[in-house]
Amino acid sequence: MATKILSVDDSRTIRMIVGRTFKPYDCQICEAGNGEEGLAAAAREKPDLIILDVTMPVMDGVTMLGKLKEDPALKTIPVIMLTAESGRENVLQIAKLGVRDYLVKPFKEEQLIEKASRIVTLQKKPAA
Amino acid sequence: MSQTVQLPNVCDFMTRHLVDVFDTMLAMPAVLVPQAALPRFGERVTGSVGFAGDNVTGAVYLHLSAEFANRVAAVMLGLPPEEILGEHDVNDVVGEATNMLTGGLKSWLCDAGSSCAVSTPAIIRGAFAVEAMPDVAREFLVFESGTERVIVEIHIKLN
Repeated sequence: MATKILSVDDSRTIRMIVGRTFKPYDCQICEAGNGEEGLAAAAREKPDLIILDVTMPVMDGVTMLGKLKEDPALKTIPVIMLTAESGRENVLQIAKLGVRDYLVKPFKEEQLIEKASRIVTLQKKPAA
Repeated sequence: MSQTVQLPNVCDFMTRHLVDVFDTMLAMPAVLVPQAALPRFGERVTGSVGFAGDNVTGAVYLHLSAEFANRVAAVMLGLPPEEILGEHDVNDVVGEATNMLTGGLKSWLCDAGSSCAVSTPAIIRGAFAVEAMPDVAREFLVFESGTERVIVEIHIKLN
């Protein structure tokens, strides 16, 4: 069964990069444009992994993560946070939230694969 | 505190960071051209992100020619470089690149003891000049990427 990954980011660019990154793998990618949509998508899709941006309009990633952790049905879904901010303060704040890992933008696609593969099984698609 | 918040240090950091963003996200070289004259782009695409805190306020502008912005967007989205994209896609890519640049600056400022928050990116298109407010220091960094030029414009006010 395909690994289901939810990409939550207000930037279509980042959602496209995430989709492209996992394309060689047997993954199903779902998308949401902010935390509010991300929570709804998480409840609906029950993904194996969430790639979550920090800074978004409507509901940011930190708020979404807090709500995710309060929900008994969703709190065990692992989350990798994406952030453009690598400062100590920001990293410490993210670590306290209970995320499995984080990735600082700009990032290389192989860095995302490396972090995701520590959390979920990524099977390469057979060559066409 | 590992660094001092002064304009030359900010410029040094932004130079390294722009090179890193271009290399990591676009696999494109970017080289600072010291004391370069400001290129005249005509039609340009500019991303802007503001930052504000108790000790520091300002904004970062990333200026690209419309043609180069299209090429950068195609590369970042994994499309053929000659692909003509809609304005919305190009705006999103330039906004995200500006967000990465300013996010890095925010982290650098925070680590130097000047915590601040950043705005969401905005895009301006056209032929125009950005004016600085009084008592705001302004610096232009001009980079060469292949045959193209990129300008990073920094406005910063230290309180």
